[in-house]
Amino acid sequence: MSASSDNAQKSHASFVTEQFGQQARAYLESAVHSAGEDLDIMERAVGERPEAIALDMGCGGGHVTFRLAPHVQKIVAYDLSTDMLETVAGEAAKRGLANVVTKNGAAEQLPCPDNSFDVVATRFSAHHWRDVPAGIAQMYRAAKPGGLALFADAVAHEDPLIDTWLQSIELLRDPSHVRDFKVSEWEAMVTAAGFRVREVRRLRIRLEFASWIKRIRTPEVNAAAIRALQAQAPAEVAKHFAFEADGSFMLDTAVVIAEKA
Amino acid sequence: MSARTSGIDPKMLELLVCPLTKGRLSFDAERNELISEKAKLAYPVRDGIPIMLMSEARKILD
Repeated sequence: MSASSDNAQKSHASFVTEQFGQQARAYLESAVHSAGEDLDIMERAVGERPEAIALDMGCGGGHVTFRLAPHVQKIVAYDLSTDMLETVAGEAAKRGLANVVTKNGAAEQLPCPDNSFDVVATRFSAHHWRDVPAGIAQMYRAAKPGGLALFADAVAHEDPLIDTWLQSIELLRDPSHVRDFKVSEWEAMVTAAGFRVREVRRLRIRLEFASWIKRIRTPEVNAAAIRALQAQAPAEVAKHFAFEADGSFMLDTAVVIAEKA
Repeated sequence: MSARTSGIDPKMLELLVCPLTKGRLSFDAERNELISEKAKLAYPVRDGIPIMLMSEARKILD
């Protein structure tokens, strides 16, 4: 296919930027991204902090930013894609959120001073990072002592069979996918960075196949491969993901709530 | 110049450092760049968004 040969020489970073840049609005408008119990959990964990400075690492469509902005003094929306950031800035202005600041860069090289944020958060982003421990270390560095840290993402099952199936489906859908980590890996990485894990909330969300594929412009051949894989899935896998006739399925997600000691 | 490109919130500099050195930045309003003296790099500001990527930064020659 020409699409794959066109992409053969691109770096991961430019791949991510392009994947999301062209689809910024789709992510702003996606129901999976704009709503969800994970966002409710994050909002509740933050509570009312009128003096707080917050960071939304890998903000994407800006949904954490929009949720938290009314409860904090200022929130920095940080992302690798400037197209995403322009969409976020435009939407923030439309919503009258004057305390949203946008910055462009990579998770592994956060351009923020040490001990400067009361809240550091990331949601549905880390699975695109090349070096998640480095990204978490940057969040730790930027957080103030006693600061709140929130990590939300799709997570893999502890069972390697189900784990492999999830990563395979994710990669076919989006070649800029790196890895969905297990909850145990998340806990270990967050702890290794120096954070103290307070609570882990596990959730499951239904991904409607057609919109899930359309959002990232998955080529038809890849979408067909996902459907073919689903049709061959062993019983344990089919049961876990609750594959539906149209390809829709249930995705495991988690929110790790931690603090900088 | 439109309001979106004319510069940045001065308060933003408080939360912004060079991603390489983690050192302070100064804003060059004329060139619309954020200068890292230590790294000898100038980061562009596009549409009000600071581009804090070394790949996008301009090397400052002595």
